[in-house]
Amino acid sequence: MALASVVLQLALVVATMLVTAALVVIGPRRLVTALQDVRWRLEMCLLPVAALALVLFLRWSTVDIAVRIEHRVLGNNITPQLFELEQLLFPVNPVAVLQTFQSPELTSFFAFVYIYGYAFLLLFPIVAYFALETMDDLSTLLLAFTVNYTIGLACYVLFIAYGPRNFDPLLFEGLLYDGFPQMRRLTNQVNQSTNVFPSLHTSLSMTVFFLAWLTRKKYPLWVPVSGVLAISIAVSTMYLGIHWFSDVVAGTVLALISVYIGRSYSIRDLRRSIG
Amino acid sequence: MTRGAPSLTRRHLLAGAGGLGVSALAGCAERFWSRAENNGPDQVALTIKTVPADDDAMASMIVSRFRENVEAAGIDVSPEPITESELYRDVLLEGEYDVFVIRYPGFDEFDDLYGLLHSQFVSEGGWQNPFHFSSVTADDLLEQQRTESEETRRETLDELFEYLAETTPFTVVAYPDRIGGTRQSIDAPAPPQRAIEFIDLLSTAPAAAGDRDGPLTVGIYGDGVTDRLNPIAVDRNRVPGLLDLVYAPLVRRPSEGWEGAAGVAPAHSPSNAESVPPEEYVPWLADDVRWDDTGRLSATVSLRPGLTWHDGEPLDADDVAFTFRLLADTSLGTADSGIPAPRYRGRQTLVDTPDQIEVVDGLTLEIPFGTTTAPAAAQFLTVPILPEHIWEPRSELVAERRTRALTTNNDAPVGSGLLEFSEAGPEELVLEPVADHVLRDSVSTDVPAVLDGFPQFEGLRYNLSPNVGTMVDALLAGDVDVTASPLPPEQIESLADDNAVSLLTAPSTSVYLIGYNTHHPELGNPNVRRILSRLIDREYIVSELFDGLATAPTTQESFLGYRDGDDRSEPLPLAGFPGTDGELDVERVRRLFDEIGYRYEDGVLLR
Repeated sequence: MALASVVLQLALVVATMLVTAALVVIGPRRLVTALQDVRWRLEMCLLPVAALALVLFLRWSTVDIAVRIEHRVLGNNITPQLFELEQLLFPVNPVAVLQTFQSPELTSFFAFVYIYGYAFLLLFPIVAYFALETMDDLSTLLLAFTVNYTIGLACYVLFIAYGPRNFDPLLFEGLLYDGFPQMRRLTNQVNQSTNVFPSLHTSLSMTVFFLAWLTRKKYPLWVPVSGVLAISIAVSTMYLGIHWFSDVVAGTVLALISVYIGRSYSIRDLRRSIG
Repeated sequence: MTRGAPSLTRRHLLAGAGGLGVSALAGCAERFWSRAENNGPDQVALTIKTVPADDDAMASMIVSRFRENVEAAGIDVSPEPITESELYRDVLLEGEYDVFVIRYPGFDEFDDLYGLLHSQFVSEGGWQNPFHFSSVTADDLLEQQRTESEETRRETLDELFEYLAETTPFTVVAYPDRIGGTRQSIDAPAPPQRAIEFIDLLSTAPAAAGDRDGPLTVGIYGDGVTDRLNPIAVDRNRVPGLLDLVYAPLVRRPSEGWEGAAGVAPAHSPSNAESVPPEEYVPWLADDVRWDDTGRLSATVSLRPGLTWHDGEPLDADDVAFTFRLLADTSLGTADSGIPAPRYRGRQTLVDTPDQIEVVDGLTLEIPFGTTTAPAAAQFLTVPILPEHIWEPRSELVAERRTRALTTNNDAPVGSGLLEFSEAGPEELVLEPVADHVLRDSVSTDVPAVLDGFPQFEGLRYNLSPNVGTMVDALLAGDVDVTASPLPPEQIESLADDNAVSLLTAPSTSVYLIGYNTHHPELGNPNVRRILSRLIDREYIVSELFDGLATAPTTQESFLGYRDGDDRSEPLPLAGFPGTDGELDVERVRRLFDEIGYRYEDGVLLR
């Protein structure tokens, strides 16, 4: 019941953002054209969609097994290592530094970006690339998302890591759930608190931004919008005490790998090379 | 700061390919090589396990302060947050830990120390000697106190406490107050914890009578708290009161610090440092317990006639005898030397062998306690009674030395309490009152006084929240009548503005404790444990982190979990914090380690 209202709110806010951005960035004419031949477009990107859906389905259906392997079989808790590494590299932990700038407005902004901005950032390019003349960019995007998820989820099974807020509440504050506890109902549906390394928030956002740069000729306006959002999201994960600096770095590296794979191979290529 | 030495606790890092990957990935190849090659004296290294701040903010804060101090003492310390169920697995079942910090619901009887510290349990899982502590002296005293009464027992216990203060297998950091909130319409003297307190709440008419129907709704929070409803498992048992309500015992221990129906907040400090005589226990499934201490102690237990399990099967003396057999050996004789249950084990050793429990007839049992003293023996009768027809088949082995009784989640518990399990979902767990329960039979004369008026509500509903903030929201929104999961002191102000909600606080006998694995090469040394136990400023923790809503231990026995209402005993001289106002005096700590034969190099404590 409470979950439903949180989800409804998310859907309304993100839908509004999507419609606005679609009208401004894509333009009504392109949208209308795209809607006229939906079938051809769908057929063209069927494979990457299927691949992404498969990974998401596997994730959803094996969550119990994955948790058991993560904790009971492997049990690699790297939280203290992440903390010590950052203690070695920085005089003060970057998360603590960011949190010194704390203000109610900043917390609201970053919480908004972390939840709503993130959902918008992932969904909008799907719409935008769908409205292009070829489906190549959409395929690249979906393949890059798939790679992100696959590698990210593998890391989550390999490593148990808690974020700063769970590690030491005297050094770091859990600003998101202190201020907006209901959000936990939402994030609990998609994640466990041990899934911190790398930050998929960062990697997926950065993936969108890197691809926006590569498609800057088609959507010039999308580059600054996605850039600001992606960087805000990466910063928000630290500001809110959810991720370590290391997670964000690893997330960015993962984004680069995903974009590289997404650009270099299409699923069609992969199938050809195997066949 | 140099962190050059290899540490025992990171051995898995060096060994596993995963660990290698992390080190390389994290760019600390240099450190990795120096660790791999270094064969000089090593730095003392410890991991500290506790639950993540989401689950227990206070435990996490205690670890934070403790870590800083231990690190300042030159020890390589890695705090490792870990889910509660996995923490209990690691500490209680696998023995994979160096130091742990947890909130423990508190001890009832002095004899609880027997299960906790007797070396006979050193290889058993569960709350049986998780510290792997073994000492002939402690064993002797633990056995001796069991057989003595009154003054002589007290003397033995004092000797035991003195010995344990010196050897420190674990140490108490603070006694946190119970903190919670309630709707004003509910007459709760404190946040309920024990089953008997829930029952008292259910028997008390809500202030706004008439406009009230539906169950009493109790707010709790945490991840997967209702995943396992197995009363003999130790890794997940986090819903306050739940399993003790469903599985009734023969007798219930009266609850100190709970003023009951009058609605008066308990003013006096609770105490668990007094023996409760067996006559004061509240008869529950038993309607009478006759103690015979002429010569060897024995108890004749008569069950209330007409008791049934929630599935309709009759409950008789065989079920009771079965329960004690199952706790002693969950394989019921099929596995070599038995597989004891990880809970209630210490109490179960109060009788020599469970086979000696004699079923006289369908409603009567005779339990021979031998030389055991009555206050300790009474605890034996408080274990939840399990239905033989459901648990007998669970004695089959499912893996090496694991029976189904230990692995089952027991999703739909069948007990014999006043409330029966109805349903559990992601957001709630519902218990319904058993309509024709024998204890509700107004004709019978000796119904416990606490049941006067039971029930005023249509059962009990646990409202599950993912985190503490959501639980507070649910209370403020009126979806929760009273909270049961502990509220961190920092959350108190969120209740202040609402007139319909009142804050509940009460001193408790629960403890935050630091436990040591004495199998660790350094922690095997009692001198090291004693110094480590001093590296936390308890007064500072209580005033700064708990905002005064906790009590620091001051006496020998209170450092070991037994607090006295009046604190008559002498304060402990040797336990002081080497520093002031939470700030450690590093030089003093180094001298302390120096005195027990340890060496420093560049501020690093060498082993």
